[in-house]
Formats: sequence, structure tokens, C-alpha cells
Amino acid sequence: MFALYRKLIASSIRAQMQYKINFLTSAATTGMIMVLDFVVLSAILYRFHDMIGWNLYEVGILYGISSSAISLYRLVAPEIHEFERYVMQGELDQLLIRPVSPLLLLLTRNLDLSRIGGVVQGLAVLAVSLSGMLLQGESTALLLLFVPVAILSGGVIYFSIGLSTAAACFWLQQSKDLQTFTIYAPANASNYPIALYPSWLKWLFFSAIPIAYMNYVPMLYLLGKGGTWFYPLLTPLVAGVALGCAISFWRWGIRHYHSTGS
Amino acid sequence: MVYWRIIHKSYLRNLQYRLSHFVNNVASSIFGLVFIAIWEGVLKGKQVAGPYDAETMAHYIAVCQSVLWVTAFLSPGLNVQVGVRSGAVSLDLLRPVHYLWYVLSHEVGRIAYNACYRSLPIALILGLAVGFFFPSNVMTYIWAGISLLLGVYIGLLLFFHAGITSFWTTEIRWIHYILISLLFGLGGQMIPLDLLPGFMGKVAPYLPFSGLIYYPVMIYLQLAAPTGIWIQLAWALLLTGSALLLTRMARRKLEIQGG
Repeated sequence: MFALYRKLIASSIRAQMQYKINFLTSAATTGMIMVLDFVVLSAILYRFHDMIGWNLYEVGILYGISSSAISLYRLVAPEIHEFERYVMQGELDQLLIRPVSPLLLLLTRNLDLSRIGGVVQGLAVLAVSLSGMLLQGESTALLLLFVPVAILSGGVIYFSIGLSTAAACFWLQQSKDLQTFTIYAPANASNYPIALYPSWLKWLFFSAIPIAYMNYVPMLYLLGKGGTWFYPLLTPLVAGVALGCAISFWRWGIRHYHSTGS
Repeated sequence: MVYWRIIHKSYLRNLQYRLSHFVNNVASSIFGLVFIAIWEGVLKGKQVAGPYDAETMAHYIAVCQSVLWVTAFLSPGLNVQVGVRSGAVSLDLLRPVHYLWYVLSHEVGRIAYNACYRSLPIALILGLAVGFFFPSNVMTYIWAGISLLLGVYIGLLLFFHAGITSFWTTEIRWIHYILISLLFGLGGQMIPLDLLPGFMGKVAPYLPFSGLIYYPVMIYLQLAAPTGIWIQLAWALLLTGSALLLTRMARRKLEIQGG
């Protein structure tokens, strides 16, 4: 299965590399857009110093992990993100008659390489924040070790949310408007400490849309803000559980799928 | 009048999506609530010089989120690029109406729809969450109204500029993204522009992006005198001129291509 995945992905990358300039400009612009967003946040924190006790570097860690993670998801799974089209236009039928699982086919159809810009930007924000902490004389070794785990787990969490949203298409026939609710708004919220939000939103981010575990929960412990030692372990654990739930939801959806016949 | 008819038709076309937009409005309000929470967290327990306490900032963000739907969340390129790619643009250019006003009318219908089914519900949801602000002075409503109309017009022209580049490039995706990020970064949607530090704070109020969000909101909340309208007016005139010029150049470009 992995050999097949590698082969299909390699051909997808080869196809896109026919347009190198387009790849470079799109990756650069995606990165630039996210940088501007962070500049505004820095401007706010520059003036007001902290946000419920989190300084710019600490928020930067949350921000860097979250934006790298969502870019990772958008990089790997553009067809899951755009799944609405497959149901609305009946393209899914073509995938169902192939001898390979439709999920694998969707994951290998396309890579959105322009999102590399977003990953790089997230890593840049992380680098700036970590070196800022180093200069203040804080120890960052544990953080440095944990950041890759957080980004990967975050990517898996976003992917699980994306897959569940896509699976909702089997009943709702569309998911674009739902995505604002399940992905865009939570992604924006996870750039900052979750403690900021009203309790119903907090509840949502700790349960159905579990983005809190990607960066906020482990950082409570790693930045010495009052968590306990097992908080960082929750990050990969929740990612795994979310992925399992999403895949079973997806499979259940496929079994209930009726083609629109168009 | 023909432009009025186009506006009306495009309004009715958008009306069909009311239900799915309802979900979206709730989600959009979450963006507003997140920004409001950020400001609350930032201002908590701090002595703030100037007018921006937590309550004022909550109103500022709430009004911004509503204004965004009529000035900043317009169709990418006003869909000019769609016509260019399909070739339908050659027919549009043949019509007995000016191409610029023709394109703008289409979008104005959508903006009217957004005002009723996006801005108002979002204003209502966020208002219920953080309280409503109504200016005490009657003149404020008039100035804010003028400022908002100018904001809509500048927004239309900026998006038209992005769209018309498709005559030369056919692809406007990245120009559109750059425009959007400049709007959000320097338009004042997240932070009142006078709070931006240093160079950014000095320049941003004079850029066209401030006309879409910052000035209408500041004038409505009575946080600034209505003098910002002059800056908006200057940009409106300047951008009208360059839009007319670009339309003419695009027309010539199309003749060379032969459709």
C-alpha cells in the first residue's frame, strides 16, 4: 500500500513540477500572506506586552505550530478539502469502481505544493520565537524536541477534522460552508491561548474539534504555565483517536452513499 | 435604468443560497468572538491610554466583522477573469453599457444581498454577545453612511483592478490573495490603525485599504472625526481614473488578440 502511495504521489509531484514558476510564486505568496497576519499580532503584543500572561514568543510557539500543521494538512489532502465537488458532480462514482480504497485514491490525486510556503512560514515563526526565548535565557531543548511531534499530530488532527467534514457531504451534499465552522474558525482560534475564549468555545475545542491538544495543552506544561507531565503525551494520543474516529465515520458515510446520478 | 436591473437580478440570484449562508454566518461570528476574546485577553488588567478599553474594542471588532461583508468580502476579481477565460468577455465588451459599470453593477447586487443576509445577522449575533453601540449624534449616522458607501466603492474598484489584470495574465489567484492579505493586514480589521507601531501606523491610514474598514468603523463608533472621508474620496477618484484607463487598455488588448 505504501509503495503504491509513493508511486502515485511521485507522479503527482512530477506533473506539478512542469510549472515551476507557478509553484515558486504561489508558495511565496502563501507564505507572505501568513507573515502579514503574524506582523499584526506582533504589533498588538509589542504595544500591550502580553495576552493573559502569554508573551509574544509564547504565542508565537502556538501560532507557528498551528499554522505549520494546517498547511501540512492542506498540502497533503487538497482533494479531501475540496471533496464537495466529488459528491455534487458525481465524480465519486468513478473512484468507487476502482480496486483501491477511495480514500487512498483521493490522497494521491494531488498535492497542493503551494502550501509549502505556509509550512515554511510557520517554521520561521517558531524559529524566531525559540531563539527569542533562548536570548531571554530560557531552556528550549524540550520544546525543540516536542515541536515536530506537535506539528505532525496537529496535521493529523486537522486531517481528521477535514475528513469528517468531507464525510458529512454524504448526507449534506455540500461542505464548503461547514468548513468555515469546523476548520477555518478553529484554525484561527488555535493561534492563541484557548483560555481566552468563552466556555462553550473552549468546550468545543477540547471535544468535537480537538485543536486544543495540538499546541495549547502541551505548551501549558512545556512553558511552565501549570500543566502536568502527561499533557504533552495527550497530543499524539488525541491525534490517533481523532484519526480513528474520522476514518470510521468516513467508511460509514461511504456505505450510505447514494450517487446523485448526475 | 439598465444598471438598476442588473443589480436587482444579481441580488435575486444570490437569494437562493440563503440557507447555506446561515451556517456560514454562525461560523463568521466565531471569528468575531475569537478576535474580541483576544483583545479582552490583551487588555485585561492594563491601564490603557486613549479610547481603547475592552468594551470599545469589542464594539470595534463587532462592527468590523459586519462591515467586512459589504466592503472586503467581494467576489475575487469581480469575476472578470471568468469571462476572460471563457471568452464571454468579448460579448460583454460589445454591450451598449460601459464595461466597468456593467461589472460593478453585478457585484453591487451581491453586496446588497450580503448587507441583508450577512452583515445584519452577524451584527445581531455579535451585538447580543458584546452589546450594541448606537451613536448619540444624528450627524454620525450620515457621515458613517457616506464613509461606508465610499468604502464599498473603493473595495469594488480594488477588486476590479485585480480582475482586469486577467486580460494580460488570465490567472488572478495570487493577485487576489495579495490584495486580501493587504486588506486584512492594513485595513484595520484586527486592530485600529492608529495603534500600529512606528512606520506602519504612520502609513497605513493613508493607504486605500483603510477606506474599506478603518474609517467607516471609526466614524460610526465616534472614535474619529469624519475627516477620513477626504482620504477615501481621494482614493475613490484616483482608482476610478485608473480603472477607466485599464478598461480602455484591456479593450485594445482584446482587439489585438481577436477575442
